[in-house]
Amino acid sequence: MSTALLMAADAGFTIQGPLVVASWEMFGMTWNLTESVIVQWIVIVLLAVLFIVLGSGLKVVPTTRRQALAELLVTFVIDMVDGSMGEKYKSYRPYVGMLIIYVVVCNLIGLLGLRSPTADVSVTATLAIITFVMTQYNRAKTGGVKGYFKAFVDPMPFMLPSNIIGEISNPVSMALRLFGNMVAGMVIGGLIYFALGSFMPPVVIPAIASLYFDIFSGVIQAYIFTMLTMSYISNAECE
Amino acid sequence: MDEMKILANAIVLGASALGAGAAMIAGIGPGIGEGYCGGKAVEAIARQPEASGAVTRTMIIGDAIAETTGIYALVVALLLLYANPIFGSLTSALEKFGG
Repeated sequence: MSTALLMAADAGFTIQGPLVVASWEMFGMTWNLTESVIVQWIVIVLLAVLFIVLGSGLKVVPTTRRQALAELLVTFVIDMVDGSMGEKYKSYRPYVGMLIIYVVVCNLIGLLGLRSPTADVSVTATLAIITFVMTQYNRAKTGGVKGYFKAFVDPMPFMLPSNIIGEISNPVSMALRLFGNMVAGMVIGGLIYFALGSFMPPVVIPAIASLYFDIFSGVIQAYIFTMLTMSYISNAECE
Repeated sequence: MDEMKILANAIVLGASALGAGAAMIAGIGPGIGEGYCGGKAVEAIARQPEASGAVTRTMIIGDAIAETTGIYALVVALLLLYANPIFGSLTSALEKFGG
């Protein structure tokens, strides 16, 4: 009887991590080329083609719909950066624009049947670490060496441990937030298909759930990730 | 020996499922927090409709921060269900015990 229980647990619904396409040994470590990386390459190629098409043959007065769309995107990014970071963070516009478009496309590519790269903690952690490095860079740049270390003993020296923990928990929470939301969408989608499998063909109900968990949640989480990146970077500025 | 292994595995499976369920009790916190946040945003927009854009942006960021603990609980629950770390130590303990 106990064996039957274990077998039932095995046969049930499971979530697979990203597939490992290839792996090799280098510097004493195993390096895996996973599905997430492949899907990210696809996203990068798609975005590159899109931007080359959007950015070619621009005129001062837009005459084509293509250029109107390109200007809409650029204005959106510029307004977002200026609104939450201010005019002096002009140089962050390309990164922020890339980040939001890339994360939105990575979240939504799950709709095409590929596995969302953002449902892999190593991808979201990479993006969060980039934000963390930029935060530290901005603090060091605006405050110098003295200002950088002074920010950690602010307002009192005994706050040092909690400041360090607070600094490290930012990228951790950003990475896990995006990852958790995308995996939750994937798990709930899988559970709905699994539950419907025995009663009826999976129509209508998965579509409604997907509308919220994939589309709404994916776009909102990308926006939140970008907004948090911008506010962490501009909050790190030393006086 | 085999039966004991099965029993031990069953206990760990059941306890992990209970633990995953218990971890998701943390969903209460973000629920209350986000509800409060949304309610206050509605109040603010009712008072000052022209600031609705800025209020909504701030509300979404606040929601995201409030959600963090819930997401941590979700990650713990998913770990317990799909990538259970306890099974590894159980296997090694059984090997040591059973020889």
